[in-house]
Formats: sequence, structure tokens, C-alpha cells
Amino acid sequence: QSKIRWRMQTYAGPALAEHVIKPAIDSFNKVAGDDMEIELFFADQLVPTGELFRAMQKGTIDAVQSDDDSMASPTEVTVFGGYFPFASRYSLDIPVLFNQYGLNEIWDAEYSKLGVKHLSAGAWDPCHFATKDPINSLADLKGKRVFTFPTAGRFMSQFGVVPVTLPWEDIEVAVQTGELDGIAWSGITEDYTVGWADVTNYFLTNNVSGAWAGSFFANMDRYNELPDHLKELLKLTMDSSHYYRQWWYWGGEAALRVNGTKMKLTTIPDEEWAQVEAAAWKFWDEIAQESETKAKVVNIFKQYNTEMQKAGRPYRYS
Amino acid sequence: MSYELIALLMFSSMMLMLMTGQRVFGAIGAVAALSAVLLWGTGGSDIPFSSAMKLMKWYPLLTLPMFIFMGYILSESKIADDLYKMFHVWMGPINGGLAIGTIGLMVLVSAMNGLSVAGMAIGATIALPELLRRGYDKRMVTGVVQAGSSLGILVPPSVVLVLYAMIARQPVGQLWLAGVIPGLVMAAMFILYIAIRCRLQPELGPALDKSERRVPLSEKLRLLRAGLLPLAIFAAMMVPFVNGWTSLVESSAIGAMAAFTAAILKGRMTKEVFEVSVRQTLAISCMFMWIILAALGFGAVFDGLGAVRAIENLFTDQLGLNPWVILIVMQLSFLVMGTFLDDTAMLVIVAPLYVPLVHALGFDLIWYGVLYTITTQIAYMTPPFGYNLFLMRAMAPPEISLRDIYGSIAPFVGVMLLALTLVMVFPEIALWLPQYVYAK
Amino acid sequence: MPRVIRSYVRIVDAVNHRIGRIMMYGIFVMVAILLWSSFSKTFTLPSLWTLEIAQFAMVTYYILGGPYSIQLGSNVRMDLFYGNWTVRRKAQVDAITIFLLIFYLGVLLYGAIDSTTYSLQYGERSSTAWRPYMWPIKIIMCVGFFLMLLQAISEFFKDIAKIKGLEL
Ligand code: NA
Ligand code: NA
Repeated sequence: QSKIRWRMQTYAGPALAEHVIKPAIDSFNKVAGDDMEIELFFADQLVPTGELFRAMQKGTIDAVQSDDDSMASPTEVTVFGGYFPFASRYSLDIPVLFNQYGLNEIWDAEYSKLGVKHLSAGAWDPCHFATKDPINSLADLKGKRVFTFPTAGRFMSQFGVVPVTLPWEDIEVAVQTGELDGIAWSGITEDYTVGWADVTNYFLTNNVSGAWAGSFFANMDRYNELPDHLKELLKLTMDSSHYYRQWWYWGGEAALRVNGTKMKLTTIPDEEWAQVEAAAWKFWDEIAQESETKAKVVNIFKQYNTEMQKAGRPYRYS
Repeated sequence: MSYELIALLMFSSMMLMLMTGQRVFGAIGAVAALSAVLLWGTGGSDIPFSSAMKLMKWYPLLTLPMFIFMGYILSESKIADDLYKMFHVWMGPINGGLAIGTIGLMVLVSAMNGLSVAGMAIGATIALPELLRRGYDKRMVTGVVQAGSSLGILVPPSVVLVLYAMIARQPVGQLWLAGVIPGLVMAAMFILYIAIRCRLQPELGPALDKSERRVPLSEKLRLLRAGLLPLAIFAAMMVPFVNGWTSLVESSAIGAMAAFTAAILKGRMTKEVFEVSVRQTLAISCMFMWIILAALGFGAVFDGLGAVRAIENLFTDQLGLNPWVILIVMQLSFLVMGTFLDDTAMLVIVAPLYVPLVHALGFDLIWYGVLYTITTQIAYMTPPFGYNLFLMRAMAPPEISLRDIYGSIAPFVGVMLLALTLVMVFPEIALWLPQYVYAK
Repeated sequence: MPRVIRSYVRIVDAVNHRIGRIMMYGIFVMVAILLWSSFSKTFTLPSLWTLEIAQFAMVTYYILGGPYSIQLGSNVRMDLFYGNWTVRRKAQVDAITIFLLIFYLGVLLYGAIDSTTYSLQYGERSSTAWRPYMWPIKIIMCVGFFLMLLQAISEFFKDIAKIKGLEL
């Protein structure tokens, strides 16, 4: 039998992919040997992000690493991918929600309807603002043109933020050419890794969400064609990728806040930031009213957070 | 099929298609579409279209029609006439002075538009007839206009550097600044060449007659004011941009409007000028955009079929060459390809192959952008295929034959190769200014 | 040449000419959007929609203007050999190679229709804060590619006429 070849496109550019996906794919290819090879392509390399979902559904691309939100999946759960405001506090919240609180099943059902296999969800870093000018209060957010996730952007626009969506690889340039005033797309580790720390001056320590929820997806037919041992190997690969990010981001965020020299830290006082949190609960209820599935997911978030609260320290400190 | 074979097949069939003389975008697009349909597998037929979506998201591409429009306004409305007169009066008394003045004119025109078209049009229609009338050597002046107008893509604003910036994902602002000093250095080298040559052979560029030289000082000063117009247009565009008040794309629109307004204020915006500028802007923008569309499709198919990997592998692993050798080989291959490949096509097809390699070899991509642009300038001018050559052929007065055009460029290409070498050996020539301005 | 073909060429050329003449003023639409963008950014809150509307305008400009640019003969060719051929020889070669251009345009159109169908079926919106529906611009692209295809076929007929020494 001839070697199976998959084309996988990630949402990340080369510098970030070096950490968040490439090591795992390299391992996969080494182990799979003559059975299979996954060819990795970076953000917008083969297909622009806007066309990514359709391309996978049709089989132009075999597999994708992205969040549901940026690739605009036509599902009920898309709004929860990426940064759904205040849905998680730590990166471990995401796998727990998916594996123990039933999100996997909901996602699987939603994507199966569209001929796409939802393979595995994992956590990335928290969502912070990195800007050219300092942000010390909510008023400082007004009129800032910021690259961010669609849903996070829609949510933050009530505080005067102007969300702008551009191809991921063009962000650094856009900050320099004045198309953007800043970025609300990642934690500080990524700001340093992809070069955004070189074009911005300030890092806001308050976050809109504690962890990014992203997934691996595949074209359903192509996935079903895989022999069992390769399906198993794929699962191990994704788990190892998730694990790498857990420690890489967790350690990186702390280390760069303490030792990083390129960005100054600023903070909006907790009392003031509480307005944003309060707006988030309202936003959750608005989203829940949009459909039954969305209500179900919002309920799971609420239940999860209540239980974490009850569990007390170290799960929640407030 | 092996990756190497796919690379070879796609590239050679594209060359073959281009040789037939079919429209460049059709030739490239057809090879992309055929390879996508036959070799990609499931869903390959969607790739050419998805490139159209990719092109749409390339925001800086909006500057392209703006700068083209600006260039046409400048050349069609002849608001550069006074500028020419200024150089004429001030530089005329020296041997070769009018040719030197023409280079000066070209530098100013370059600062107001992003392509070499406008410079070429202004040079060929205003400067060339005047120079010929005054006994300048026709080969010398043809070369001067071609070389001078090529500065249009090195001195900011520059469309070529915008396209390069999108391919290399480098900041346009820094690239533009990186082009400034090399552009001026090259202009200075052209001037030096003309001055020395005309000193040795005064018959190539005789000084103006006494009768023509008698211009009152007040008139001389009045003409000097003509130089303010390009400065004003340049400032209207660059000051808000450099200060971060407007973005790159917005600035290009301001520049286009500034040129438009200047033409109206000077009473030069006739119905015909308006018609030609607007129509030609559509025509040239379409030409560029359709080639970019086809080339993006070609690039995606080429990449997805593994051909890019094959080429990288060839250069780095199999040949095992030293980075500098690879870099020089790449520049040479550009020059060779420039002799038979369309310049825009070259930019959108070859640059995406080379840029990642240059990066992997550890070179600075801003610096390489300048090297790249100078190489493109040379390719623009060298026969048989060159954008500037075509334009020259179309615009030159009848007494200048194709032979003259081809023969005129040799010394200037020599100067440009020298400039290329200088920037290669001393990267600071390009990098000092952007580093100084963007120092955080 | 048969009457049908004559009428085809006349009608297609006239329609595309008309559309192209309208599109060429699109440069002022783009300028206006971008000037509003810088104005609103400086004096009020930045508008959410300018970036995408400008992109849509650019796409409309060059895709719908494409057929007119073919009529104007502005699409460069590599004229290493082509430049030295007679008009008749050029027409002969073009009449063959234009099928490759037609094939490319066909594939573009196929992809555009496929993507537009998806867009309509799922109510696809751009993943930006403004969230415009994507089907209008995709339909414009379908129309543009279709008109380009018609123009390419018209060029083919004109080449055939040139080979036969006729004027169309
Ligand atoms: Na320029
Ligand atoms: Na050339």
C-alpha cells in the first residue's frame, strides 16, 4: 500500500508553529515512517483562513489546527472557540471541560453534521492586550484598533475597542504601518515568540480569558480511511502537542512577566476590571438565548465555574 | 511523482506557455489550474479561486491602484514641466548638465509615485526631445531616462517594495526607508558617471548656448519654487504616515488626492487628462492584479504539491553551498530569469520561493528587499524582456531605434551592478535609516 | 463569419465595455473610503467597516474591470518571439493558447460558484467584528469571472476572423 499523505494547515505562522505544532508533527512523521506523512503548512499558506473550513470540508486540505472562531466554522459552538470571555481561568480548565464536562460530545455532534471530524481540543495561552500606548484604565481602551478574535472583539467593542481582523502574518507589519494600535490575541509568551513584543511597548496584565480553546480537525472521509494504528498515533500526537503547550505557556507567561525587558506591564485596577467581568456574564446570557446548543454550553461553563469555586484553593482564589 | 519532478514540470510548462505570447496571467493561471486539477487530489480545483480570497485580504495591495493613479496624473497633466525647466536652467551650463538635471527630475518624480511608469513617461515626453534638440547623444539620454525612471521603485513610495513586503511579511515602512539611501546613492552614481563621461567626451552632452544661459536670477528663483510641488505632495503623503496618523493604505489615498488636487489647481486637469489617467489606472491595475491572482494560485499549488520543499532541499542540502554563494546564485538567477520572464510574474512567483530560503540562511529580509529591488530594476531594463524597455519603445521619439534603446543601457546597468555590490558588502547603506527611525 | 458569432462578439464587447467604463471610476470610490477611514480615525471613533469595504471595492474594481482591460490590450505578454510575429501569426497562436486561458477562467469560475454556494447555504459571514455576509462579494466575483470568460471567447472569435482576413 502506498504512503498516506495529509496536508495540514495550522492557524499559526512559522515562528509560533515551531512550538505549538511542529514538534508533534515531526514526531508523528518519524513514527509513522512509510505508512503516512503529514505535511504541515502555516497560516494562510495554501488557503486563506476565511476559506479554511470549506477547504477541509471539501478535502482540499485534509486536516486543520485552529480555533472554531477564527476559521468561522458554520456551527453552533463556533462562538466558544478561541477566547470566549472569562470562560476559563487556567489552561487546564479547557481539557477538563472537554473531557469531563461533556463538551467533546457536543463538538463531535456539531462537526459530524458538516462532514468534519473534531479530533481533539486543547488549551493555549490567556488573552492579553499588547499595545503601543499604555492602558491603565478602561478609558484607555477607547478607540484602540486592535487585532483580536472575532468573538472577543465583538465583546470588547462595548468598551470602545475597535476590533480589526487581518491575516495573522501581517499583524506585526500592521502595527508598524499604523493599521493597528495593538493586539489582543495572546499571552506574553507569544508576543515575544512571534515578534509582537518588538513593535509594542505595553502589556496589560488583566486578561479577557484565561486560556484559548483550539482544536484539531480533519476531513471526515480522510479520517475514516486511516487504519486504526494511525488513528491511535494521531491521538497520541495531539496529546503530546497539548502537553507541550501546557508547560511552554505556563512557564513562559511567568518568566517573561518577571524577566522580560521589551514590554512594560500595566494593570487596570480590579474594581474597574470587574465591569468587564460583569459585562461578560451578560454576554453569556445573550449568547445562551441564541440557540439550545449554545444554552447547553453556557450552562456547562456556569456549572463548571460554580464547582471550581466550591472546590476552593488552588482551583479558585476568589 | 517526486517533488523534484513536479517542480520541474510546473516551472518548465509555465515557461513554455509564456513563450507562446499568451497573456502572462493566462499562461501562469493555466498551469496552476491544470496542475491543481490533475495532481492535487480531492478539491484541488478550488485552489485558483481561494487565491482570489487571499488577494482580497492583502490589504496593502490597495496602494497599487493609488500609486498608479498618482503616476498617471503626474505624467498626463504635465505638472512636471516646470520641474524640468528648473533643472534645465540651473544645470544647463555644465557639460552633461541637462542629463544630470534629468536624473534629479527622476529622483523627485520617484518620490511622488510607486512605479517606474510615470518617470518613464515624463522623461520620454518632456526631457528626451529637449535633450536631443540640444545635441545630446541619443544613446546617452535614452539610458539616462531608463535608469533614472527605475529609481521609482527604490525611492519611496514603491509598489515593488509593497509587494515584496507582503511576500516576505516585512514592515513596508522600514522597507521604504531602507530604499532611500541606496536610491540616492545610485542616483549620485548615475550623476557621477554622466559628469565624468561628458567631461571626457563633451560631444555627448554639450553645455547650453550662451543665449540660452542668460536667464535672470528672479526667473531662476521662481523656477526653484517648482521643486516645492513634489515636496508638498510627498509630504502630504509621508508626514501623516511616518507620524502614525494615517496607515500606509490611507496615506496612498491621500497622495493620490494630493496629486489630483495639484493638477486641478495648476489648471492642468483637462477632460482628456482625466479620461486617460482614470482609464489607464484601471488598465494597469487590472494587469497587475490578474497576474498576482494567477501567481498566487500557482504559488499555492506549487507549494501544496511539495515543489517548494524540493527547491529548498536542492539549494541547502544537496548542493551544500555557502550562504553567500547561494545568495549570489539567487541574484544571478533573477537576472537570467528577468531576461525572459515578466517582472511582476517574477516577483510573485520567484520571490516566494527565495524569501524563506534567504531567511533560513540567516540574512536580514529588509536588506534583502533592497537587493531584490535593485535586481528587479536591472531586470526591468535588460533585453529582451523588460518593463522599462517596453515603455521606452512605446514612448520614445521616432529617431530613437530599438538598437539605440538596447545599446543605451549597458553603462547604467554596470553602475547598478556596482550599487548592488555596494549594498551587499555594506548592508548599513540600506539598514541605517530604518534602524535609526524605528529605534524603539 | 456566421451572424450568431458576429452578434455574440458585438454584444459581449459592448456589455464589458460599458461595465469597464463604470468600474474605472471605482478608483474614486476606493479613495473616498480610505479618506473617510483616516478622517474618522482622527476625529471620531474609527469605523469598523472601512477596511473590508475597501477590500470589496478593490476586488470589484479589478475583477469586473478585467474584461475591459483585455479590450484595452493592457495585459502584458512575453514578446520575446511574439513581438516579431505578423498579425496573422499572432492570431493563429492565440487562437490555440486562448483555450488554456479559457480553462483557467473556467476553473476560477467553478471555484467561485462552489464557494458562493457554501456561502449562501451556511449564511457565511466574515469573521470580523463588522461581520458582513460574504455572498454579495462572492457573487460579484462569479459574475466577473463569467464575463471574463465571455470576453476570452470573444477574443477567440476575433482571432479566427483575423486568420481568415476578416474584420469583426
Ligand atoms: Na517611488
Ligand atoms: Na529584463
